[in-house]
Amino acid sequence: MTALSALVRYQFALLLRSQRWLPPLLVYAGLFGVGVRAGQPVLDSLGYAAAVLLPVAAWLVRLCATAEPDAARHCGVAAAGAVRVQLGGVLAGGAAAGVLGLAATAAVLLLGDAHSTDGRVSVPLLPAAGAGVLAVAACVLAGAGVGALCARPVLRARGWGVLATVGGVVLVLAARASPARAAVSGLTSGSGTGTVPASWGALLGAAAFAACAVGLSLLAASRRG
Amino acid sequence: MRLEGVGHRYGLGGPWILRGVDLDLRAGRLLRLQGGNGSGKSTLLRLLAGIDAPSVGRISGRPRPRGYVPERFPAALPLTARGYLTHLGRVHGLSRRAAGRAADAWLERFGAAEYAGTRMSELSKGGSQKVAVAQALLAGPALLVLDEAWTGLDQAARAELDRAVAERLAAGGAVAFVDHDPRRLADAADAVYRVTDGTLVPGAPGRALVRIEAEGPTRAAEPPVPGTPRGWVRAADGSVVLTVPAGDSDAVLYALLAARPAWHIRSVRPVREAG
Repeated sequence: MTALSALVRYQFALLLRSQRWLPPLLVYAGLFGVGVRAGQPVLDSLGYAAAVLLPVAAWLVRLCATAEPDAARHCGVAAAGAVRVQLGGVLAGGAAAGVLGLAATAAVLLLGDAHSTDGRVSVPLLPAAGAGVLAVAACVLAGAGVGALCARPVLRARGWGVLATVGGVVLVLAARASPARAAVSGLTSGSGTGTVPASWGALLGAAAFAACAVGLSLLAASRRG
Repeated sequence: MRLEGVGHRYGLGGPWILRGVDLDLRAGRLLRLQGGNGSGKSTLLRLLAGIDAPSVGRISGRPRPRGYVPERFPAALPLTARGYLTHLGRVHGLSRRAAGRAADAWLERFGAAEYAGTRMSELSKGGSQKVAVAQALLAGPALLVLDEAWTGLDQAARAELDRAVAERLAAGGAVAFVDHDPRRLADAADAVYRVTDGTLVPGAPGRALVRIEAEGPTRAAEPPVPGTPRGWVRAADGSVVLTVPAGDSDAVLYALLAARPAWHIRSVRPVREAG
């Protein structure tokens, strides 16, 4: 456990010092700025903020998984094992996306209008905040799963990794069975009626997907660090 | 630790890099691996260090903590030397304070204390190699795997690494290494293996020898060497080729030069006893 938390801190340090966090942050801030305006219905905006977080989460996890050159990664693998090294990268990327998502949720709650889309039904802010956090968690988990599958050690070639990330993100956002989509559409449809959704099912589904995807990447790492 | 029937290839359809490798590496032992470029030495070292899992066969009893020095350590990390080493120390399981102390101590030992605050990307090749070696030694590894770790180090740092290896062996650690210099740790190696065509061929822990080619005052003169040298042979042109243990070479050279009339030394070359 200490080795894992040390690996997560190491990955955070690499991410912060490399300034590779800047492009995903700017892209997210841009998307947020385009889609979220002051006075818009809060649930709708929460759904949007969570949805656009999904590709950013995949991006951040990919960044952390590929932060080190191979030889440097091998040093960590010898020290702590390939599974821990891989998990450390995924957790760091996922946590960075989670922090971003929480900040976005707070911003939406401050800026948004606590009413349904037609403005007739008022929406209680605290439950809305809870629903926003659930949707953010679902989207971070789904995005992290995509990111883990589209980087070393599963996909080693950078070009294919980027292409697969884009494809995977589109798939996970659009597929009918996708838990991330369910979490987002729960918020947007809830905004229509003014009811705050409790998307626990979507969160569980996203967690299951993330567990499978990350598990696969850990298995690949244990074969070839 | 023990390797049984270990084989490895990258990818399912890839060529076999290693096949049927059986190997014992006990605590306190020094293992040297030899072999040409692309023979699979580095792959075997990665399997030993636990970086890759073997495609077939079993590796058991790999001790912890482990240190690994890769063949080429990239400097492209956005951390200072001390920052990187402290992080790695914590990954090795050291406390924050112990990691910082170990980082400083090893940078100092390799004469790199002045680079502690330098970003890794600004380090010279030698400087980043010192960091690479230091990260492997931080936690006092019970298994140390060195892939040409001496390459790129200056003379003093090489000697320091030799000492660090001796310390690990004395503390009961196992060390496996590859180095292009056949004299590297020649006296300390407990086992020498050669990797050829993906298989492991045991070699005697061959001693370092020196081959001296000398010309006597007459074509029939016998070399005036002290004791009983390993032997000498006379070349077709009448010169003499002596092969002596590295430790005796100075004495033999002295005897040849001090003889009256003196012998002429044509060449002195380090060689390795065939293993």
